[in-house]
Amino acid sequence: MAFSTDMGIAQIQAGLRAGNFTAREVAQESLAHVKAADEKVHAFLELTEEAAYAAADRVDAAIAAGSFDELGPLAGIPCAFKDNMNQEGTHTTCASHMLENYVSPYTATCVQRAIDAGCIPLGKLNMDEFAFGSSTESSAFGPTHNPWDLDRVPGGSSGGSAAAVAAGLTCVALGSDTGGSIRQPASFCGIVGVKPTYGMVSRYGVVAFGSSLDQVGPFARSVEDAAAVMDAICGHDELDCTSQQVKADFRAACKQDVAGMRIGIVKEFMEADGLTAEVRERTLEAAAKLEAAGAELVEVELPHVDAAISAYYVLGPCEAFSNLARFDSVRYGLCDEGHKDLGGQYESSRAKGFGPEAKRRIMLGSYLLSSGVYEKYYYPAQQVRTLITQDYTSAYEKCDVILAPASPRTAFKFGEISDPATMYLSDVFTISLNIAGNGGMSMPCGLGRETGLPIGVQLMSPQFKDENMFRVAMALEKEYGTAPVAPEFSDGKAGE
Amino acid sequence: MTQHLTERDVRDIATYARIGLTDDELVQMTTDLNSIIDTLKPITEFDLDGVTPTFHPIGSLSNVMREDTERESFTQEVALENAPKQQDGSFLIPSILGEGGDR
Repeated sequence: MAFSTDMGIAQIQAGLRAGNFTAREVAQESLAHVKAADEKVHAFLELTEEAAYAAADRVDAAIAAGSFDELGPLAGIPCAFKDNMNQEGTHTTCASHMLENYVSPYTATCVQRAIDAGCIPLGKLNMDEFAFGSSTESSAFGPTHNPWDLDRVPGGSSGGSAAAVAAGLTCVALGSDTGGSIRQPASFCGIVGVKPTYGMVSRYGVVAFGSSLDQVGPFARSVEDAAAVMDAICGHDELDCTSQQVKADFRAACKQDVAGMRIGIVKEFMEADGLTAEVRERTLEAAAKLEAAGAELVEVELPHVDAAISAYYVLGPCEAFSNLARFDSVRYGLCDEGHKDLGGQYESSRAKGFGPEAKRRIMLGSYLLSSGVYEKYYYPAQQVRTLITQDYTSAYEKCDVILAPASPRTAFKFGEISDPATMYLSDVFTISLNIAGNGGMSMPCGLGRETGLPIGVQLMSPQFKDENMFRVAMALEKEYGTAPVAPEFSDGKAGE
Repeated sequence: MTQHLTERDVRDIATYARIGLTDDELVQMTTDLNSIIDTLKPITEFDLDGVTPTFHPIGSLSNVMREDTERESFTQEVALENAPKQQDGSFLIPSILGEGGDR
């Protein structure tokens, strides 16, 4: 069987082992597919051909030497990285003019681990500027298009990662999730997207947005592929003091069934304003399928979850304001030259380098941390965080995994949501989990009855019990099948 | 919409956050921020008496220490690679105290 850009990890590695194709051919055909198809999708900001071929040649050498099995779980697998992840020698722009000419002098731990696990790094992926957004429309280099309908957004902020995987431009990708930035685009693009528990994956070398909320995770077209990426990237890193010692085996978890597992359905989520009928229908359908597979459904309550969005839009901008202070036009990043004083250079460089949403969040954070305002919003938001965390702790006494919608609706059209406050509501089901630091993932569960677009169901786990949600995800995948490449971008060769 | 911030307030915040705004941008930013701050209202309405704040999602973090030994790190050249302006192995910036001062 020839290599197909529709293939998953197991098929690619079986083909490599059998000598049906080489890793160099995987790299060549993948890069050719990106060059042909990405004109329409615009998922990639940079291709890393040299690194891809070097990695492929290492895999081919290992196959020739009979040591393929000693390579990691991603041996020979095309992978790409959100452009907020440093990879030495690449541009790491965060989709911002601020970092347009920045070249990474080092590599993020998550990227390094994926490369060490044998992946073929294809390039860097588009995103909302500095990950501020839910549509990838705020990229300074132009939006990414949803492979299922090119007139629609792929979601965001990791829209490039989701669209690249959905269009078969790469087998797997890494993204980051601060308030839903992996799960919402995964749901809009009909693929698997995982936001692990905070501390599961090192944040070292990932440009920080909200340091107490950010977490890196995989996109894939199957649960087992996402599990393989998790096995490659998770675990303690001495360069990130918040990363934890974790003993997890995600691929092993995929082999366990859901019999006897308790699945929590959150009343507040299912009754939420703005939840469309088609998303509600598919979510309940997924719950019924799990019950049929032997799981028990229980109703749980998250009484303070309504406050999560406002808590997030206090905490996120405050942390962003602090993190983005590093862009000083002196050490790296855009510099508007010709000013006689340093203050003028700062103001003018930051005015030119940051886009409107980045400016809004920085300004909002600056305001919220000011004296008098801090006491009114910031401190209470951290108290609300305690209540939300306690809500989840109580809910998880009654269940092992929570099932909820990932997004209230399917992918929207470009320009459809222009008001920032309305855009923020698209994260209503994902945000509370970042506030609590728990794990969550979006799983494709069919197309909407009205829109015909992909819908994702969200699975949530208690802190560091992320394997739970992979077990449930596998049970759903048995019902729905693995995620297909969006029809327009399938090369149709996977079944040959 | 409640007027939480005036244009004057927003100008002050911009100065503090070191972001230059044109007059048109200032008007739009004032509208946007007021609208966003409106949506944060739920935070001010909870009874939070006696609730301990959570500043970090993982509760039981302990300090991480390592041996204070020399390690490989960026060379001066690498650290300066991305600097917009440099001189004599240092970052170059405009004057801080203004021009024409005593030397």
